[in-house]
Amino acid sequence: MKLSKTVTPDANSYATELLDRCWLTEITFEIRLKRPPSFTFEPGQRIRFQHHSIERDYSVITTPDDTTLALCIYHVEEGPFSPILAAAAIGTSFTFTGPHGYFTYRPSERSAVFVATGTGIAPFLSIGRSGVTGFTLLHGVKTSSDLYYQPFFRSCAAVYVPCLSERRTETPPTDGFHGRVTRYLEEQFPPGIYDFYLSGQQEMIRDVTLLVDEKFPGSLVYTESFY
Amino acid sequence: MKIYTGSGDRGKTSLFSGERVSKSDLRVEAYGDVDELNSVLGGLVASLPPEELKLTEEIQRIQSDLFRVGAWLAVTPGSSVASDLEEISEKHSKLLEAAIDRMDKGLSNLKDFLLPGGHISAAWAHVARAVCRRAERHVVRLSATSAKDSESEQLRAVVVYLNRLSDYLFVLARHCNRIHNISDRVWEK
Ligand SMILES: Cc1cc2nc3c(=O)[nH]c(=O)nc-3n(C[C@H](O)[C@H](O)[C@H](O)COP(=O)(O)OP(=O)(O)OC[C@H]3O[C@@H](n4cnc5c(N)ncnc54)[C@H](O)[C@@H]3O)c2cc1C
Repeated sequence: MKLSKTVTPDANSYATELLDRCWLTEITFEIRLKRPPSFTFEPGQRIRFQHHSIERDYSVITTPDDTTLALCIYHVEEGPFSPILAAAAIGTSFTFTGPHGYFTYRPSERSAVFVATGTGIAPFLSIGRSGVTGFTLLHGVKTSSDLYYQPFFRSCAAVYVPCLSERRTETPPTDGFHGRVTRYLEEQFPPGIYDFYLSGQQEMIRDVTLLVDEKFPGSLVYTESFY
Repeated sequence: MKIYTGSGDRGKTSLFSGERVSKSDLRVEAYGDVDELNSVLGGLVASLPPEELKLTEEIQRIQSDLFRVGAWLAVTPGSSVASDLEEISEKHSKLLEAAIDRMDKGLSNLKDFLLPGGHISAAWAHVARAVCRRAERHVVRLSATSAKDSESEQLRAVVVYLNRLSDYLFVLARHCNRIHNISDRVWEK
């Protein structure tokens, strides 16, 4: 059952301002925004920009204790909104509502397996930065240059597996995997009952969910679908 | 964002609390009914004349409440997701009771069964009532299988809410006929 947009209790509207932008790769960047003093959220939740008639959601990558809000954004060149964030002058004002969503970490006796594709890593950053450790993280990206947060996740994940989908001559990280996250789960991940947290591309979420039914029955599946 | 996910193609679906269950699961039946009811209420609202703004708002508030009910039905008891949800409480049922009393004042006493129908909005209200009753029956069945007291309590509150809502929808159907100057048709045995 998908409820994320519909049952979030009335989210408030906030004004914010672009403080800073830094490019992580040619197509992915981080932005830092002024944090409205009354805005609170839980790690894993997201904000929704309102720009004329456009609404776009972004997971917060900072923690509730940070004084600013940061987001990690993929630049969809032909998209209507991400190019605006990619080009806006520092100091530009924006409006957002939030917090939205229920994709928060829920401790349990089962091991947590975080699975992200691309910028789907964003909610796990906030969760990890808030002190959650000991999880398994599979990060599906095209090439190792997309593993922007690798050093951080190596410090807090029990198991960190970059999954590189584009076969190139480059050497993969020693504990990396050449192939999609689904194939890693299918071929390498031990059967068992886990709490899966899936974030990013909808196709990955579908494929992993179907795999959970087959190979990891009894596991829980929490999802945050970006596109 | 794509609407179709494909993760339900093999007869399973995910509960809000993360479990993968069969689509024939009682919980899925129950929140499916609530979803259907909500959609029928959408039809009802669409059939109301624009000047019935207050009534429209009242029904839309009920539609929001039904999302909360659906969310409750889609979580397993004791799951951490449950603690994120707003409870369905007596407050919600009391609002329905007040609305029933308000509309009932303008209606004649009822001594016979009515044929569902009349104005299109009244007809929608009767469909909604019947779906609401089905939802209630499914929630009652669900609460009979529920092992935990905390869940039984919340499901009981949902049953009370749905029961009151079907009464509201019956009175609303009559109210809709009244505001459109249409007489209810009595069942002739
Ligand atoms: C719940 C939720 C959380 C999200 N969180 C983030 C986030 O933290 N970071 C982020 O970059 N985006 C996130 N998104 C996506 C974001 O809302 C926008 O869709 C995205 O920035 C593109 O916006 P756009 O208007 O330029 O193009 P859109 O019209 O929104 O998208 C055009 C196309 O671009 C592709 N696309 C969209 N987003 C991505 C992406 N992240 N990576 C690769 N391809 C993409 C899809 O094929 C999509 O059909 C999230 C979306 C949702 C629903």
